[in-house]
Amino acid sequence: MSEEMMFEAMMSGVTRSGAMPSEVTTLRALGIVPDPTASAPSAASEKDMISMGGKMNNDELDRILSRPDDIQPSSGFAASVMDAVRAEAAAPPPIPFPWTRALPVLLVAALALLAVAIAGIAAIVQISRQPAAPELAASWWSSALAPYTSGAVGTDLAWTAAALLAAFVSVRVSMRLASGKV
Amino acid sequence: MAMSAADDQLAVERVLGGDISAFEEIVRRWQSPLVNLAFRFCHDRGRAEEMAQEAFLRAYRNLKQWRKEAAFSTWLFALATNFYRSELRRIPVYVPIDDVREPADPRAQDGGLEEEDRDRAVRRAVFTLPEKYREALILFYFHEMDVPAAARSLGLPEGTFKARLFRGREILRGKLPQLLAVARLKEA
Repeated sequence: MSEEMMFEAMMSGVTRSGAMPSEVTTLRALGIVPDPTASAPSAASEKDMISMGGKMNNDELDRILSRPDDIQPSSGFAASVMDAVRAEAAAPPPIPFPWTRALPVLLVAALALLAVAIAGIAAIVQISRQPAAPELAASWWSSALAPYTSGAVGTDLAWTAAALLAAFVSVRVSMRLASGKV
Repeated sequence: MAMSAADDQLAVERVLGGDISAFEEIVRRWQSPLVNLAFRFCHDRGRAEEMAQEAFLRAYRNLKQWRKEAAFSTWLFALATNFYRSELRRIPVYVPIDDVREPADPRAQDGGLEEEDRDRAVRRAVFTLPEKYREALILFYFHEMDVPAAARSLGLPEGTFKARLFRGREILRGKLPQLLAVARLKEA
């Protein structure tokens, strides 16, 4: 049983039924498993335990915890910080995002996304029309999308070509943006 | 303290005006508290200095964000505390709970741990607490039991902070007998 597991068991107050004899001894020593052969704990040790944890009051905790092991920063600490600060100050300012160049591309991407979404909706409508759903067919958006849903094979090919073209254009534009040739 | 706050403000204005060397005054004034605060979070001197240095760098970068509504020290501690907390979430600290010195006093062999060892075990036990209670205890004692200052450093309402403090102490009190038993077992 690892020390970590022993600690976990101790913290949760749960013992494992399949503990090895040596583990049982350890757990007995920790007071988790009662030791039938052991004599009653000495009065001093019992008192010690109670005063240490069981009945430790806030004042006692305050006294202990308010006297932490304070440390002094090493002698070169301030100089090291200032070196880092000077390096930071000397570094060139971060390059701003090229919004003017990116905006048209983002706009095209948004339009392409919209087109794909419309195509998706159109496909769903087309599928749902087949098992006779008159109320759906009558809805305004279904009729608005009617031109897109007719001629399934031709439309699929057109959309595939459009998607490939959009992918090609976006790759080309991003490569040109990265190389600064726009 | 008022003098120190005015000095801080003056130094900040000089830094913002382009005089980087004025930041050294801030570093020298606050290096010890910031390193010690980090040390209380991680219990590792080297790491504490690294974390404190990064906290100073962040303070330098974000100096414009200090609104002067609160004292500079309050802003600085809140910034450092937030950074230390996120840093320790990234790389958690491990403090061995049984790392107490051998008892020097022979009476301790019979009667238990020395007082100093016991105190150290108690302080180390703080690191076994769940994060939110551990932070509350560390900051409460770092700020020398000033609840408003400690709560501000954590960005918590005072009531929430007090509740965490209370619960943290309760858990700590509950754990102490076992922690001390482990220490005693290691001695044996």
